Amino acid sequence: MSQYEIRFSGSGGQGLILAGVIFAEAAAIYDGISSVQSQSYGPEARGGASKSEVIISDKKIQFPKATSIDICLALTQEAANKYYKDIKSTGILLVDEDFVRETPKGDFRVIKLPIVKTASEEIGKAFVANIVATGAITALANMVTYASVEKAVLSRVPKGTEDMNKRALKAGYDLAKAVM
Amino acid sequence: MKDADAGTVHREFVKGNEAICHGALAAGCRHYFGYPITPQNDIPEYMSTHMAAHGGVFLQAESEVATINMLLGAAAAGKRVMTSSSGPGISLMQEGISYMAGSELPAVIVNISRSGPGLGGIAPSQGDYFQAVKGGGHGGCRIPVLAPHSVQEMYELTMHAFELADRYRTPVMILGDAIIGQMKEPYTPGLCEPPGPIDKPWATTGCAGRPRQHVKSLYLKDDDIERHNWKLHEKLQRIEKAEVRAESYHLEDARIVLVAFGTAARVCKTAIQWARKEGIAAGMIRPVTLFPFPKTLVHETAGKADLLLVVEMNTGQMVEDVMISTSHHDKVRFMGKPCAMPTPDDILAEIRLLAGKTS
Repeated sequence: MSQYEIRFSGSGGQGLILAGVIFAEAAAIYDGISSVQSQSYGPEARGGASKSEVIISDKKIQFPKATSIDICLALTQEAANKYYKDIKSTGILLVDEDFVRETPKGDFRVIKLPIVKTASEEIGKAFVANIVATGAITALANMVTYASVEKAVLSRVPKGTEDMNKRALKAGYDLAKAVM
Repeated sequence: MKDADAGTVHREFVKGNEAICHGALAAGCRHYFGYPITPQNDIPEYMSTHMAAHGGVFLQAESEVATINMLLGAAAAGKRVMTSSSGPGISLMQEGISYMAGSELPAVIVNISRSGPGLGGIAPSQGDYFQAVKGGGHGGCRIPVLAPHSVQEMYELTMHAFELADRYRTPVMILGDAIIGQMKEPYTPGLCEPPGPIDKPWATTGCAGRPRQHVKSLYLKDDDIERHNWKLHEKLQRIEKAEVRAESYHLEDARIVLVAFGTAARVCKTAIQWARKEGIAAGMIRPVTLFPFPKTLVHETAGKADLLLVVEMNTGQMVEDVMISTSHHDKVRFMGKPCAMPTPDDILAEIRLLAGKTS
């Protein structure tokens, strides 16, 4: 690993900024790997598509934006259309199979997973889709330990939702493992 | 990178704007006044939820003009005070900042700048350099300006700003931008000591049992205002002599020396690492204090290096201070990107061009 870049995208309110923060915090605080997280803010984030970016590196990170993306998550069609462009040739476009029907084409691998459906039907709450996605990315990236991501999830989610979020993380991890 | 510090020291993963709040609270700031504007809203948001627990006062004023006058009043009462805003809001505060400089009142003013002129936009920009370092207010007021380039520095320089403010009885500005304010990275609190309490015998704390004292910037009698100007001038000279801070990055053998501050300097570091891999001896002077400016370092470096490349997220402001600092004007080049962060590739391309390499 020299540098690994992940973009979390979807619709404002789906918790993708939190997902990015959780993943970056797992790397930086619990695994002791350099990481930086940035996000769209203000008017840039209004009107639908929202994104959060995480960079993990074996060196100190100076430039904080993603330009050569290893994994781009898109939970909505609009986000997929808007944010897939910087995926590198060996990278992955990870989409929700129900909400992204037309997958953008390019020199990258596409993985379709029932992220929102798993959150709403298996876990019981659609709003944990961000954590299901985080679980899937934990498996696909294989950069940060599962235990660290779980710790970061538990430190950031509201009290009383810990168990549900733990199950969401595991469900996402297993979904991705099944297609790897 | 397995960070040597991981697991042994306490680290937090926060936004630059939050780190400013941590630094302010560690420095004993218990009075924050503000008015919302992007991209600095994390600061009042944090202060609104945490100040009460520290026994302090958070107040959202009705405007920036009201904010700066609340700051003035609380500073006159001897309290450690802070406000934060962005470009247009800082413009509205300039009258009050000049009053505070004239009244010699310590305070910390944070500008997480946005693009301008006018209402501009919220894209990251270093377009407020002139306003910050040349004295945005009237009457020849100038105040120290600190430019953090990491979340760690957002925390540490905020504490330093309070120390400078109290030591010299002056407002101090922290100049950041949307990138450094909004990004999260790990930082270690407690690496440097917060400033201790300081006696403020001049403060207006109630005159029972002692003669009345005044905090003011109005001097109408005879030569009073001239004398006051010379006094402020002498203070600025002391600040210029004692308080310059700059980082020298790979400077020892550098032939091409970049000069950049804040977010632009972060990007330059990556470009310099890449240039060195190609055998180009690049380095950087990163002014940490924009006023006072590291004039001596710039001049001495210009004498030894082949070229200086000033990189800013504007169309050319700090480059004027570089020109004032050195007589080697023929060696100074400029690269600007207004209202956006240049990429390391952009800067590397410019370095290659200057080094005479085409690859």
